[in-house]
Amino acid sequence: MIGILICQTALSIVVASVFLFRPSLTSSAGWKIVAFVGLCVLPALCLVGGMSAHIQRSETTQFCTSCHVMIPYGQSLYIDDANHIPAQHFQNHRVPADMACYSCHADYTLYGPLNDKMRGLERIYLQYVTQPPDPAAIRIPGGFKNAQCLHCHAGARSFEENPVHSPMMSTLISNQVSCLGSGCHDAAHDIASLDQQKFWKPVQ
Amino acid sequence: MKLSRIGIRRLLQVSSALVVLGLLIEIVSLLWFHPLSFVLFAFVAAGLIGGGILVYLVSLVFVVGPAVNEER
Repeated sequence: MIGILICQTALSIVVASVFLFRPSLTSSAGWKIVAFVGLCVLPALCLVGGMSAHIQRSETTQFCTSCHVMIPYGQSLYIDDANHIPAQHFQNHRVPADMACYSCHADYTLYGPLNDKMRGLERIYLQYVTQPPDPAAIRIPGGFKNAQCLHCHAGARSFEENPVHSPMMSTLISNQVSCLGSGCHDAAHDIASLDQQKFWKPVQ
Repeated sequence: MKLSRIGIRRLLQVSSALVVLGLLIEIVSLLWFHPLSFVLFAFVAAGLIGGGILVYLVSLVFVVGPAVNEER
């Protein structure tokens, strides 16, 4: 998709640059249409395509872990421990491996993706303009919401028929009891003890 | 200075320059796999391309408009 977009952008550059060197061409009706396409329609399409490509790219695991502070979080996905929630989701493909971060950390609300992008820009600002945070000290504002777990698990038979989950379903839905912070599934991204962990090595 | 006096050719050149520069930066941002590439696209490339389109549309409204009226 990126290749097609780059070709489209290159074509737009060629068309637009005609009017940089020969603006007098627009005196004829045919060239007026070409100018409208080259200076308005094609650039607008490139803008939409570029935004779409960048948003899709920013959802990949590779993109998230390209930030220095996120590298240990990426490493924690390979921890060889069945109780480590992010690692078992990633290693067993319970979430798409190439979108592992986004699958659990996306805000699944109407303006969620926009909020995520704003939070991402805030982190870029912290990284490059002010003091970058210590990776182990990074916390999700407001805590990890159950809605992010329930986005996939709600309605699943194995989840709802679980004798621990079923009596407390309403408190889980209302976020009164946290899936991660209530002594249940509390092993998540244990960055501080990363050097003491065993790691899973994929076959590839 | 009124926009109609600047002339459509000059505005077309400005529009074209902004669009070409913005599109070149968009290509760089697409090829550069880095968190800053999104910032480069969203704030620099999109600004230049949007500015170029705006200048072109302004040239249509403020420069061509009066000339058409004069012909009538």
